[in-house]
Amino acid sequence: MKNKLKIERAILDITQDELAKKIGVSRQTINSIETNRYVPSTILALKISKVCNKAVNDIFILDDND
Amino acid sequence: MNLKSIIECEAKGFEKLNKYQLPNHYKKIGIAILIISFISIFINGFSLNQPEVKIISKFGILIGLLIISISKELLEDELVIKLRMQSYTFAFIAAVGYSLMLPFINYLFDITFQSANATLKEIGDFTILWMLLIVQVLYFEVLKKAHK
Repeated sequence: MKNKLKIERAILDITQDELAKKIGVSRQTINSIETNRYVPSTILALKISKVCNKAVNDIFILDDND
Repeated sequence: MNLKSIIECEAKGFEKLNKYQLPNHYKKIGIAILIISFISIFINGFSLNQPEVKIISKFGILIGLLIISISKELLEDELVIKLRMQSYTFAFIAAVGYSLMLPFINYLFDITFQSANATLKEIGDFTILWMLLIVQVLYFEVLKKAHK
């Protein structure tokens, strides 16, 4: 699964740490999601989409391997 | 109480048990117990030679590692939970593999260097538990570093 979290974060102009604090996770978790090393749970994906004010499908995109 | 409610009750119990962890500051207590136990096992090995001290030190090592293992991180989020589960899985497989292989490795070693006394011996509970806990604790740290 690919994601546009880094782009969305750049649009919001917030750091990984600020986003992490907003959704109650560590900065490492945000970094791992952005570098595609970790696929977040539905709850976390929904929290991210709420902060970014976008639908989950607009941030997280299924690729051919999924 | 019907069967469905018994199953639900059991499931809730297991869920509580799975979530049970010690607060983060217990990690320091675990490390302290581990260090004290290591020091006492070395002192006992070189000078005292008391079997009771050896047994208590071994218990101390296992208790220290267990406390470290079940202590929460400062921020226990879903990535940490996933990494913790991965480390438990890896430690379980490593400990089983180790306990299966070690008697044969010891036997081969004995044949090579002490052929007269070579026997196939079982390994003790402490060795398996020590291996399980130390692999879990170290592998969890490695996984956390890899996700920094």
